[in-house]
Amino acid sequence: MRSQRNNETSHVKYLLGKMTEEEQGDVEDRAFADADYLSALEATEADLIDDYVRGELSQSDRRSFEFRFLTSRERRRKVEFARALATITSESKTQEPRAPARPFFMRALWGWNPVLQFAAAAAVLICIAGGAWLVSENAASRARVAALEAERRGFEAREQSLRQQLGEEQNRAAALAAQNRQPSEAARAPLVAALVLVPGLSRARTEVEQLVLSPSVQIARLDIELESRDDFPRFRAELRTRRGEEVLSRGNLVRRKSGPGFAVSVDVPASALAVGDYELALKGIAADRTSQDVGYYYFGVQRR
Amino acid sequence: MAVDPAALTQPAFDGLLALLGGDRDVAADRYLDIRRNLVRLFEWRGCMTPEEYADETINRCARKIAEGDVIRDVATYCIGIARKLLLEMGRDRARQPWPLEEAPEPQAAAHEPDHDRDRHVECLRLCLGRLSAGDRQLILRYYQGDKRAKINNRSGLGRALGISAGTLRMRALRLRAGLQLCAGNCLQNRGATRP
Repeated sequence: MRSQRNNETSHVKYLLGKMTEEEQGDVEDRAFADADYLSALEATEADLIDDYVRGELSQSDRRSFEFRFLTSRERRRKVEFARALATITSESKTQEPRAPARPFFMRALWGWNPVLQFAAAAAVLICIAGGAWLVSENAASRARVAALEAERRGFEAREQSLRQQLGEEQNRAAALAAQNRQPSEAARAPLVAALVLVPGLSRARTEVEQLVLSPSVQIARLDIELESRDDFPRFRAELRTRRGEEVLSRGNLVRRKSGPGFAVSVDVPASALAVGDYELALKGIAADRTSQDVGYYYFGVQRR
Repeated sequence: MAVDPAALTQPAFDGLLALLGGDRDVAADRYLDIRRNLVRLFEWRGCMTPEEYADETINRCARKIAEGDVIRDVATYCIGIARKLLLEMGRDRARQPWPLEEAPEPQAAAHEPDHDRDRHVECLRLCLGRLSAGDRQLILRYYQGDKRAKINNRSGLGRALGISAGTLRMRALRLRAGLQLCAGNCLQNRGATRP
C-alpha cells in the first residue's frame, strides 16, 4: 500500500513536469517495461485530471497542470471527459454493490448428514413461522411508514416548487445583470468569471473595472468591446501587470458579434492572476501580418 | 525542429517492419505498440502534437535502419530518438519567441461551451447505459466523491467486491478508457465541436 502511495506521488510529480530529466527517464523506462506500472501511471493521470476538474489541486499544481498538461488535443479531450464524468457521478447516488452470491453454501448443505439436515429443516420452519409473525406485526408499521412517506413526498414536492421559483429568480437576476453589463454576470457559470472592457478608458482614470475571483473560478474571461473601425481578421492580446511584467499573450483571436457591435474574448487561467492591477494591450493583425494597436484596457483583480 | 510525418518511404517502412518480426501481422502489432508508447511519452512531456512527434521518431528510426545501422531493440531505440527530439523541442522553444499567431489556445477544454458540455454528458450517459449494471455501478461509485469521500468509497467498493485496491483501480481504468472511447465516437457522430 505504501509503495502504491509512493508511486502515486512520483507519478503526480512526473505528470506535472516536476522531475529532473533523469527522474523522468526512469519513470518512462519503467512504464514501458512493466505493464502494471504503466497502468498505474495512467490511473494516476485519470485521478489527476479528476482532481483538476473538481478544483482539488493546489494553486501550484493547477498552474503546472494548465501550462504543461493541457497542451495536447488528446489530453484536452480527457479533461472534457472527466468533466462529464464528474457531472454524472455527482448526480448519481449509487448503492453499495452486493457481494457475489455464494453457491458453495447450498452445495455444502447437501453434504450434511440426515440429523443435521433435519435440524436445518426445523430451523428453517421456525424462521418461516417467526417471519410470518413479523410480517403481521410489520403491517401496522408499514401503514405508518406509508403515511410518513406520503408526507415526505409532499415536502419534496414543495421543495421542488421552491427550487423552481429560486431558479426563476436567479435567471431573472442574471438577465438584469446582463442588461447592466456588471461583472457579476459571471455568477451564472461558477467556473468562469467575466469582465467587460470597453474602449475609451485611460490609465489615468481613478476607478478601474474590478474582476472579482472566487476560489472556484478557473477561467477569467475578458470581453473587449471593439469600435466599428477595428475590423481586423485577427487580434493579439498581451496582458501585463501595471508594472509591466508580462503575464501572458494570446494570438489568433477572432472578433465575434456582441450586441450591436463586435467584441474579442480572451480567456486567462485564474491561477495566473494575482491580486493587483493589470493592463491589457489589444493589437489588430492585418492580412499582411502587420500589427496595429487597437487599445489599452485597465482592470484590477480581487480575490474573494 | 522540422516534423514531416509524410517523409517515410515504403522501403524504409518495410525494413522497420522486417526488424519487428518475420510475420507481417505480428510486426504490425509491435509497430502499433511502439507508436502508442511514443505518443504517450510525448503527451506526458507536454508536447502539443504528440502524434506528429511519434511519427517523426519512427521515421528517423526507419531511416537509420535503411542506412544500415544495426538496431537490436527497435522499441528502446525509438525511445532514445524520442528523447533527442524532446531535447530539440526544448532548445527550439528556448531559442525562439513563441509565435503568437500559430499558438493554439491551451485552455480550450477549461471553457467548453455549455451546449458542448451537455453533449458530452449526454454521450457519456448513453455509453454508461451500454455497460452491465455491475460495471456501471462500479465506475460511478469509483469516481464518486471528493478527497476523503472518494478514498472511503473506493475501499468500501473493493471490500464489497472482494478485490484488492490495485485490481479495482485497473478495472475502473479499463472501464473509463472504454467509456472515453465510446463517448468520443458518440460525439464525433453527433458532430460536436472538437477542441
